[in-house]
Amino acid sequence: MAPPPASAVADAMNPPTGRTGPPQDSQINIDIMAVTKGFHWPWLIALLLAVSGVIMAASALVWQTYEGLGVAGYQAPVFWGVYIITFVFWIGIGHAGTLISAILFLFRAKWRNAINRGAEAMTVFAVLTAALFPLIHIGRLWKFYFLLPYPNQRYLWVNFKSPLLWDVFAVNTYLTISLLFFIVGLVPDLAVARDRAVGWKKAVYTIASGGWQGTGKQWKAHNRAVLHLSGIATPLVLSVHSIVSWDFAMSIVPGWHATIFAPYFVAGAILGGFAMVIVVMVPVRRIFKLEAYITDYHFENMSRFILFTSLICGYAYGAEYFIAWYSGIEFEQTSFWLRAFGPYWFSTWCMIMFNCVFPQLLWIKKLRTNIPFLFVLCFFINLGMWFERYVIIITSLSREYIPAAWGLYIPSTVELMVLTGSFCWFSMFFLLFLKMFPIIAIAEVKELAIHAKEPGHGGAH
Amino acid sequence: MSELDRRDFLKIVGLSAGAAATAGCDDPASKLIPYVIQPEEITPGIAVEYASTCQECSVGCGLHVKTREGRPIKLEGNPDHPINRGTLCARGQASIGRTYHPDRIEGPATRAGDGSLQSISWDDAKNKLAATLGSSARKTWILGGHVGPSLDSLLDEIVDATGIAGRLNYEPFGQQALIEASKQVFGVAAAPIFDVSGADLIIDFGNDFMDTGMSPPEHARQLSENRDVAKHKDGGARIVAVSARQNLTASNADIWVAAAPGSEGLLALALAKAVADKRGAGSVGAALAGANTKAAIAAAGIDQATFDKVAEKLASAKHAVALPPGIAASSSAGAGAAAAVLLLNVVVGAVGSALTYPSVDAKPTSSLKDVLALVDKMKAGAVKCLLIHDLNPVFSLPASVGFREALAKVDLVVSFAPLEDETTEVANLLLPNHTTMESWGDANPREGVRSIVQPTIRPLFDTQAMADTLLGVARIAGAGDSLPSGSWKSVLESNWSGSNWRQSLALGGSFTNPPKREVAVAASAANLRPSAPRLQGSGDFTVVAFPHSYFGDGRGAALPWNQEVPDPVTKISWTTWAEISMAKADEMGVVYGDVVKIDTGAGSIDVSVYPRGGVRDDVVAIPIGQGHTVGFYSSMAGDEQPQPGVARGANVADILPAALDEAGGQAFVSTRASVTKTGNFRRMALSQWTDNQRKRGLAPEVSLYDLSKGAAAAHFFASSAEASEEAHGETFGEEVAQEESAGHHFEGPPFEFDAANDSNPDQPYRWGMTIDNDKCTGCSACVTACYIENNVSIVGETQAIRHREMSWIRIERYLGDGEDDIHDGAERRPTPDGEVLGENEVRHLPMLCQHCGAAPCESVCPVIATYHTPEGINGMVYNRCVGTRYCGNNCTYKVRRFNYFDYGRKNWPGLLGLMLNPDVTVRGQGVMEKCSFCVQRIEAARQPAKDAGEVIADGAVVTACQQACPSGAITFGNVKDTSSEAVQKQKQGEDRAYRSLQILNTRPAVTYLAQVRREENEGAR
Repeated sequence: MAPPPASAVADAMNPPTGRTGPPQDSQINIDIMAVTKGFHWPWLIALLLAVSGVIMAASALVWQTYEGLGVAGYQAPVFWGVYIITFVFWIGIGHAGTLISAILFLFRAKWRNAINRGAEAMTVFAVLTAALFPLIHIGRLWKFYFLLPYPNQRYLWVNFKSPLLWDVFAVNTYLTISLLFFIVGLVPDLAVARDRAVGWKKAVYTIASGGWQGTGKQWKAHNRAVLHLSGIATPLVLSVHSIVSWDFAMSIVPGWHATIFAPYFVAGAILGGFAMVIVVMVPVRRIFKLEAYITDYHFENMSRFILFTSLICGYAYGAEYFIAWYSGIEFEQTSFWLRAFGPYWFSTWCMIMFNCVFPQLLWIKKLRTNIPFLFVLCFFINLGMWFERYVIIITSLSREYIPAAWGLYIPSTVELMVLTGSFCWFSMFFLLFLKMFPIIAIAEVKELAIHAKEPGHGGAH
Repeated sequence: MSELDRRDFLKIVGLSAGAAATAGCDDPASKLIPYVIQPEEITPGIAVEYASTCQECSVGCGLHVKTREGRPIKLEGNPDHPINRGTLCARGQASIGRTYHPDRIEGPATRAGDGSLQSISWDDAKNKLAATLGSSARKTWILGGHVGPSLDSLLDEIVDATGIAGRLNYEPFGQQALIEASKQVFGVAAAPIFDVSGADLIIDFGNDFMDTGMSPPEHARQLSENRDVAKHKDGGARIVAVSARQNLTASNADIWVAAAPGSEGLLALALAKAVADKRGAGSVGAALAGANTKAAIAAAGIDQATFDKVAEKLASAKHAVALPPGIAASSSAGAGAAAAVLLLNVVVGAVGSALTYPSVDAKPTSSLKDVLALVDKMKAGAVKCLLIHDLNPVFSLPASVGFREALAKVDLVVSFAPLEDETTEVANLLLPNHTTMESWGDANPREGVRSIVQPTIRPLFDTQAMADTLLGVARIAGAGDSLPSGSWKSVLESNWSGSNWRQSLALGGSFTNPPKREVAVAASAANLRPSAPRLQGSGDFTVVAFPHSYFGDGRGAALPWNQEVPDPVTKISWTTWAEISMAKADEMGVVYGDVVKIDTGAGSIDVSVYPRGGVRDDVVAIPIGQGHTVGFYSSMAGDEQPQPGVARGANVADILPAALDEAGGQAFVSTRASVTKTGNFRRMALSQWTDNQRKRGLAPEVSLYDLSKGAAAAHFFASSAEASEEAHGETFGEEVAQEESAGHHFEGPPFEFDAANDSNPDQPYRWGMTIDNDKCTGCSACVTACYIENNVSIVGETQAIRHREMSWIRIERYLGDGEDDIHDGAERRPTPDGEVLGENEVRHLPMLCQHCGAAPCESVCPVIATYHTPEGINGMVYNRCVGTRYCGNNCTYKVRRFNYFDYGRKNWPGLLGLMLNPDVTVRGQGVMEKCSFCVQRIEAARQPAKDAGEVIADGAVVTACQQACPSGAITFGNVKDTSSEAVQKQKQGEDRAYRSLQILNTRPAVTYLAQVRREENEGAR
């Protein structure tokens, strides 16, 4: 992806007010901090909806905890359901954020600057959402600490052979690094917020910004920290979802036991993650009038990622079927046949259409820059990614080795409430974030603007 | 009496512990109270067993009641008992629950004018009954089921002494027709005893001798020895089953003749004629005059070839035996049919060997005809008082009899039932009897077998033995002088004065070998003219009301295990279903679960339909025993959404006319019916919805031919390779097939313990199991035994519909090798379309935790809650389990169960918690559980062995499933010890030994021995 010509950046950054040239530093501060100020009806409505969704899910959870997991749809032989699906979904969502903030940073893909804050925030909130699900899944939340290798006098230890334990480590590492990355990136912008805040907010931002003065020394340290964290976070983009995929691949379940799972899951995660960034950023841009900063150009670049990862996913789906056929193993063959033509055919075809077929429209440039289209497409990709996990988990478990034990799983109301609640939980964090922190990395956009102004950094970049 | 004191004490201990266990939901027990004075024979923690007798049906199996600290917790067969020899069927296993049942009536009560019950004292209750007796003894009747001989004669004495008008001794599933037939054929007024152990051909005319027949555990044992291919290279007896629907016997038979119901007599006589034509008729020539082969074949609706094949088999067999029609085949011509079958036995020479008569005549019993006469009297107002015991006539009598209405005209209806049922619901005076576990009694199932019933727990409630109640009433009424003095127990003891009482108590009875009666064909046999049954009503279908495997006449429906354990044939639990043929279902446009209206002239019921290939087109088959409106488990009262008074399923008695056979017994094949679609759908709890094993070799089969040629192993493996070749596609077939057959021997022959891969070489034990599929009949006794031994929760219909049953062992049922077409999609409305009328491809496969050497479940558990013990058991640490359920996903055998709710606390209502096995943890909410190989029994055997400084001897550990199995299909033992029976059985069956899903290299500890096909099945898939 070649960086855009300077003129393009300049054009794109033309504010709607009719001023010419890229926004000035102070204007950037004003524009972006405007998001946190003032009053936006859509924001309030969204927040109220999100909070009520969270309350609904919480009450469903309380009931589930009181009654037992029987209120969920589990039935032998399908012991994993919506909760694990949603766990994998949210972990996947996080990946785009890390990819944008870390990998694209290392590759010096400057276009990321406008979206990386939003993407990073999304990562943190997605992982925070995902991390709830293992607890919800086991039902007895208070037993969760059994999964941690803590020293105890009973010599109880965890099983390092179990992929679920790897998960515990992977997710915790991911959460820690994402959080650190997010916070470090925020510091200079918090200082901007501090400078513009009054009253108690000022006190909060003062503490949060950690005495940032914008000195050269501080900038140097900050840049190094970001660089190092990028280095640490980069392998996580690959490893976390690989480990999550091993929850499945390490088992003996037909339909799960496949070596392709790690790259397949990572590609799927990035696909889903970018789709989620677009789904989140489109309304944000519209409502808070950030068109000058998040431009069609950004959306087009993300579309290219979506197209690319969707091709990988398509390849993986195909490879799975091919290997099932080629292996000659009847269990696998039956499992995959029933995915497409068995009782869960609907979810499988949703997955294929939404994740592989529809994104092919992005070969058309006009559609890559058509924001409403992208929004709708990405919405369906997210749905498709959720169904991908549904297909992998449910169809495989429902049709294993012993036909006498085959059974169907249908999510219960409680599970659907918790699923809905997880979106609300995520949205709630994101909406609060919008009003508290700058949604666009001010410093980085300024940097971009400076570069765009300098003739030396023009078209030949 | 010091003994009473001790028992009182036990009662208190039992009750308080039980109260703590059951009331534990609110207030956990905090104290364990030790014995102040320890009873001599009780060591806390060690089970004490008492011999007794099962009272669930009339077979009279001997029991060992296992008690812990004064509470019966498990029933096992009495090994000394000549009938069951240590085994026990599913119904017998479940009967322990009666004592602790939530339906128990807690004390004597009267029904007030508004229908509510008011408890009264025993004195008042007896006085009330005595007063009625005093005023209208001549208008008082006793209506009861069969009771033991001592009680029977005592009741007769009481009837005589008090001047009661009469007593009916009536069982809905009586043997009158068979006794009548014996009178006609042999002039003997007794029921014959059948012994199939020496037979080389068994032809079952709808008796269903493996499941609901005359003596199922006994016959299953005899058959298993008879057909043991390790001992009898010819495969032992062949079985021909004649039945309109494929019942459990037909599903295990070599030849299934799908004859129309009621045609058994015609068919039997025609077969007798055909055999006599080849062998000579001997003394029965005249009796065969009535035979009409053509008419028989036409009536039976079978083809000539099938008839000829069976006739040929019968003629060439040396020791054939024919079993008379059972309940499902009883018709208006039932006695004639039974007589024809007895004649066939004469012709094939079974009399005197496989068929014998006791030297004493059967005591006369009452028939349905007598009951109908009584009902007429009741309707006429000629009965003032009716005493009902051991019977639930309001439920079990055909509704068209009008018993309930007739009962309304009786002033005082007294019920002695210990559990609430439809009859106690309308009785005016309840005088609850003890349950079997609390009572004294005896049984005399056949000559030479005197069996004792002894109490093993103090009565839990304010109940009284019926005999004591009636003695008390008689004494109050002034009839005491002509009655024995003392209590019922002393009466019983004096009845047993001829034998050593204490020894009988220890042994379970007194067992002798009685002389056989010589019988000869009587002249009256010549009058035998079996006829087709008279069917009332109209419609396309003949109603076949068949006994459910576990319910008997309906009394078994109260027991939760009988409800929860799937029916062995259809795998349906908790409800009634109607079987119609696939063709008829297609015609009517109904599929599984669609509710149909079954209308006979006598009434109509709505039942969910179960279309199957294994039932005749002209038959609608409905199990007897469901449709109760009273009872925690038997009605919907204890359902997840309690609906008191709503029937669970439908009662087939509602549509049966009160039809009689020649002997006055009930003819169950009595009516035609129309079946119409209602448009409703009611999903049934079906534990297994597909019987297609997809050529996965889960339950393979070896032909006897291959086995006898010593080629079975080669053929067996070749066929599995063949199957894999098909699965692997053409290109790689050969290569992979070779690998695979090598793979079968990867660890040496499958029976050998894999010493090279032994991770615990210092351990003397590796526990393992050998299951002989050829012996398994699918009866599910092991399943119920496991439920009770291991405190496995009953989940109820709503949860069972969702496949949330908790069974640790299940019987999978497959048809043939299966199809590998990947047709699927009708799981919610499945159809077992593999069945073909007149063919039998059924394979029964007991599936339990395989205790894999390389267990997939163990490696994935993040907290090591499931782990491998050094003795090879796949252990579960319930307290450590967090409930990720990964093990359940990764278990290739799908034997892991999850506690979705707090079953351990909530699913033992009433005092049922008292019967929990204290050696087995009651699992909490959110944990996984599964078969433990009865690890508690291993531990129980370990301590004595350790004390003696020895290893645990082979046979010292008997798992609950193994203990119960009437066929001896399950053998448990140490597979490191090559002399153990488990290993020996594997070696004997080497040619057909296999491990489930061997290709996955999970290294199971369970070795299966493949089923043997003895007869080629024409048209077999």
